[in-house]
Amino acid sequence: MSTLIIVDQPPYGTWAGREALDMVFSLAAFDQPAALLFTGAGVNWLRKQQAPDAIGQKSVEKNLSAAPMFGVEEILADTASCERFGLGPEQLVSGVTLAENLQDVMNAHSNVAFAG
Amino acid sequence: MTSTQPANPTLHILNKPPGHPRFETCLQAIQDCDQLVLTENAVLALADRSVTLPAACKAMKADVDARALNEQTRTGTIDYAELVRLTAKHSRIISW
Repeated sequence: MSTLIIVDQPPYGTWAGREALDMVFSLAAFDQPAALLFTGAGVNWLRKQQAPDAIGQKSVEKNLSAAPMFGVEEILADTASCERFGLGPEQLVSGVTLAENLQDVMNAHSNVAFAG
Repeated sequence: MTSTQPANPTLHILNKPPGHPRFETCLQAIQDCDQLVLTENAVLALADRSVTLPAACKAMKADVDARALNEQTRTGTIDYAELVRLTAKHSRIISW
């Protein structure tokens, strides 16, 4: 019984993506197996060196790199979306696994939920 | 009714991400004499290979830096003071 949270909303514009991160960390904190899949404009959360202080926000880079310690099983990113937004291995934060087929990823989890 | 007077240059301010329905509607509404400013999530268009941007296009620096898109600016970046100047310069403004 594991949960996949899918983030397809871009960072910062709305709270949806951030709420998904909180959801995943809460699940992991209660020892519920959970994973994160970023797709569409959501892959932009995974770009390194974000500096959102000028728009009054905090970067999630540290949270994402700490995710395994909090028990989040996997952080996945959809390959096609990464290509669309020019996210190569050098731009991606560490600890992200690329996923080719979203259907397979979704089928591997009993619960799937979207952010926002 | 063909309008003979020169087209009224319009400032388009867009904050929707590529893929949002209003993003496409905005791009289609832009005439040659208009100016587009990308703010908030719209700056993701700078990294989106599937998007072609009009020539007269600027992006808000704070939003570009927030999303670490500073190297791939296909357009110039402006700050808020510059945006205010643009709003003063254009008689017609559409906030999408």
